[in-house]
Amino acid sequence: MYARKGHALATDLARAWRPPPRIESRAVRTLIVVSVALYLLVAALTVEVDPGRIREGMSRAGDLFGGWLRPDFVTRWPDIRTGLLESLSMTAVATAVGLMISIPFGLGASRNLVPGPVYVVCRGALAVFRAFNEIIVAILFVAMFGFGPFAGVMTLVVATVGFLGKLLAEAVEEIDSAPLDALTTAGASWPSRVVFGVLPQVMPRILGLTLYRLDINFRESAVIGLVGAGGIGATLTTAFSRYEFESVSAILILIIAMVFAAEVISGHLRRRLL
Amino acid sequence: MSTDRTPEGSAALEIEDLVVRYGKGEDVLRGVSLELQRHEVVGLIGASGSGKSTLLRAVHRLVEPTSGAVILDGVNLLGLAGPELRQARLRMGMIFQEHALVGRLTVMENVLCGTLGRTGFWKSVRRNFEPNDVEEAFRLLERMGLDGLEDRRCDELSGGQKQRVGIARALIQHPDILLVDEPTASLDPAASARIMSLITEVCAEDGLSAIINLHDVPLARRFCPRILGLHAGRIVFDGPPSALNDEILTQVYGEEALESYVGVRSEGTRVGD
Repeated sequence: MYARKGHALATDLARAWRPPPRIESRAVRTLIVVSVALYLLVAALTVEVDPGRIREGMSRAGDLFGGWLRPDFVTRWPDIRTGLLESLSMTAVATAVGLMISIPFGLGASRNLVPGPVYVVCRGALAVFRAFNEIIVAILFVAMFGFGPFAGVMTLVVATVGFLGKLLAEAVEEIDSAPLDALTTAGASWPSRVVFGVLPQVMPRILGLTLYRLDINFRESAVIGLVGAGGIGATLTTAFSRYEFESVSAILILIIAMVFAAEVISGHLRRRLL
Repeated sequence: MSTDRTPEGSAALEIEDLVVRYGKGEDVLRGVSLELQRHEVVGLIGASGSGKSTLLRAVHRLVEPTSGAVILDGVNLLGLAGPELRQARLRMGMIFQEHALVGRLTVMENVLCGTLGRTGFWKSVRRNFEPNDVEEAFRLLERMGLDGLEDRRCDELSGGQKQRVGIARALIQHPDILLVDEPTASLDPAASARIMSLITEVCAEDGLSAIINLHDVPLARRFCPRILGLHAGRIVFDGPPSALNDEILTQVYGEEALESYVGVRSEGTRVGD
């Protein structure tokens, strides 16, 4: 009896608690929600959804998927083979060259290793490398160097440097600084400190990121081929423009197979080396 | 092993009116002066934040002093740069709190890191170290009781083993002075006492001088014939362990910390025996 009374008393006195709202004013909150909803509605209306075209598209999809169910590796095999080999060499060359260029940029873009001006210049350069999507860079290089794998390799090198350089710099900025101090007190020069203090700590990251970038570069080589930068993408566009959906299907299956193979190989390497 | 480069009688290291200020904030060191005699082992005690670590780091120019002088063999280290500074650093081996080894390198590589100040860059990249240095590294590992572990990765070692690799790395520099920052911070009491006797034995055998930062007063009393007390960036005590009394410890550690110090002392006595 007494306990129940005490419990009731506690409930009466219990203090209410709600998480503090992110936006203080209820009016402002309502205004934001309503205007976002209105904008989305208006935006959706400008997309011009046309039921007629959707119906037509569905019947064309039938042809496409029909072709994909009967992949044809044979008719265009010489083209497909050339395209695949070209993509593979583009990938390998671009990843290797990109890695070599990205290491100095990545070290230079690490706040804990270099003086301020060097840091700003390297960070800026890496930002420029990453500023444009691969397709735009590829269009630019195709315009500069003409159709073919050279423009493709250049595109992938730029993308690889931007990607590896930035992530490497982030890895370097997270390293334990105590071993670096220890090397400094042993009279080690800056390059020695990098080789003995920094690289051992970031090597697993470099290896992992490079394997990942290898994978991305292969897939990108198929995409940038669409704008004329060589590789399997070029073969793919040709097949599309000839309405040879059976060959398209064969190419897509091969791309999937290569990506799977890359996944298996990189997983294996990671287990062996890290 | 120690080469007598300093003339007899002169100090191994002189620190004059050293001031360290971080940014615009308060001074961490407010004019520290001390003379470290040759073959002398000094224990530096003080509360966290009193500037003990900063003092050692400033002597090595890991932290840039705001003013003052650090004189090694008549040369002010604060005026040196580039190769000259690196040569001077070689002569002051530093042993770190938490050992500061490169975990993914082998024990041998970590010890040989102590020779980077005198090994050519490309030779070191190819791990083509001087045969004399390699031989000495093997001997130091034996002396530290780490023989047979040269090919193990450092992150596989125990805390005490890592600290001994750190000592070997400092000794292969052929230093005249050891600067030791809280060598026992990550060790249990028994391992702490073993590391301290190892360091002081090495100093005696090789004729080195040392400044050893310690938060553990009983360890400092037991192993260091001269003790310096640092409080808020100033030296407030300089004398033998016998002169350390509660009044002085209050000055070093502050009023409120005395009680916890007493705790440390009783625990330390148990460990010491």
